[in-house]
Amino acid sequence: MTKIFLIITMVISFEASAQTLKVNLQASGLTCSLCSNAINKALQTLDFVDRVEANIKNSSFDISFKPGKTVDYDKLKMKIEGAGFSVAHFTATLHFDHITVANDDHVTVNGMVFHFLNVSGQLLDGDKTVRLLDKGFVSTKEYKKNSSLTRMECYKTGVAGACCTKDHLTAGTRIFHVTI
Amino acid sequence: MQRIIVFYLLYTVQPLKAQELFVFTESASNMATSGAGIRLNNAFMKVTKSARTEYLLIPELMFGVSKKLMLHGAVFFSNEGGTRFGFNGGSIYGKYRFYSEDEVHSHFRMAIFEKISTNNGIIQQPAIDLNGYNSGYETGMVFTKLLNKIALSTSFAFLHATDNSGHHIFNYGASRRNAIGYSLSAGKLLLPKEYTSYRQVNLNAMLELLGQVNAGSCLGYLDAAPSLQLIINSVMRIDLGAKIALISKLQRTAPGGCFVRVEYNLFNLFKK
Repeated sequence: MTKIFLIITMVISFEASAQTLKVNLQASGLTCSLCSNAINKALQTLDFVDRVEANIKNSSFDISFKPGKTVDYDKLKMKIEGAGFSVAHFTATLHFDHITVANDDHVTVNGMVFHFLNVSGQLLDGDKTVRLLDKGFVSTKEYKKNSSLTRMECYKTGVAGACCTKDHLTAGTRIFHVTI
Repeated sequence: MQRIIVFYLLYTVQPLKAQELFVFTESASNMATSGAGIRLNNAFMKVTKSARTEYLLIPELMFGVSKKLMLHGAVFFSNEGGTRFGFNGGSIYGKYRFYSEDEVHSHFRMAIFEKISTNNGIIQQPAIDLNGYNSGYETGMVFTKLLNKIALSTSFAFLHATDNSGHHIFNYGASRRNAIGYSLSAGKLLLPKEYTSYRQVNLNAMLELLGQVNAGSCLGYLDAAPSLQLIINSVMRIDLGAKIALISKLQRTAPGGCFVRVEYNLFNLFKK
């Protein structure tokens, strides 16, 4: 019986750590509260979003999520774009359990594949905030500037390709390019 | 009058925060996908050399089809030409944003637009007005820039007037059926000084210059259109504006007047 409880506890703790704890994003291209409200309402239509706290002055949004739901960064971005604006800054706070990361290398964390850029090799443990650098998650200017950080093709496509075979990633797997 | 306009323009473009929800023109930005707006437009136009005021009522629906495309549909009611107040026609407007360069608190956007209008009233002026006076179409382009917190928008359009329905002929000559329309708009947020909540009432001041040159006669007009705008609960707009003729070479029956609009916005009509 103790073993069963232990297994259940392990499964629950794995599921809990699989969640993105929170996201903060800054939208660009707007100044008015009506525009900010359009983004706010659009984000709230996503089934995995629990709460959205808007900072109208800075056009930024703190987003928390429903427990047990998979957080889809691309859907969050699409809601900003659907409201008529762009994402300028996107950070996600995740739970890491003894994950070693290296610069310009892929790491799978709780089923999500991250490609760390502009970082020093380090061990991540506990809650850490990463910043997404993919196309559409930063300004066009910054995306172009960051292209010097890697020569891998997945930075351009956002999915695993020939550049990612050494990490045994299935072709087409979504890869988020992040920095700390 | 020109001094007042210049002063107003200078005052308007001093930076605080920019606003581009213009009253008399559309900016290159669109409303949110699956968002809708309901408008009740009211124009009170003073008829030249007459004590009469024409009242134009335009209920209008707007819909965000996608992040790049939005559509408007409107119907016209008026007492133009001294007729009994009644239905005059309608219009369909579409705007496609084809370029967008966004930065935090700034952007540059470009869009093309098309408007098709129908009207059953008597044509009494060579100036082409697809907002309740003429049947015809308009094809144009609009450029909008937020720069150093100043919102500037400019548009150029080709207008063509057809005969109005009910056998009301545009009888100023075939070449005068065509015109070039242009506009320059600037806007500024006056209140609140700092955003803290969606419930704050926003007060915007805008100044727009609206012009038209007839392709056949080469005569034109230029109006100054100052306006104030209230945004309530970040969903409702109340616009108060006026049109003042600065140049009136192209004849119009009622060039100047006041404008009142009430608009309510709905978000996410079709949840995805």
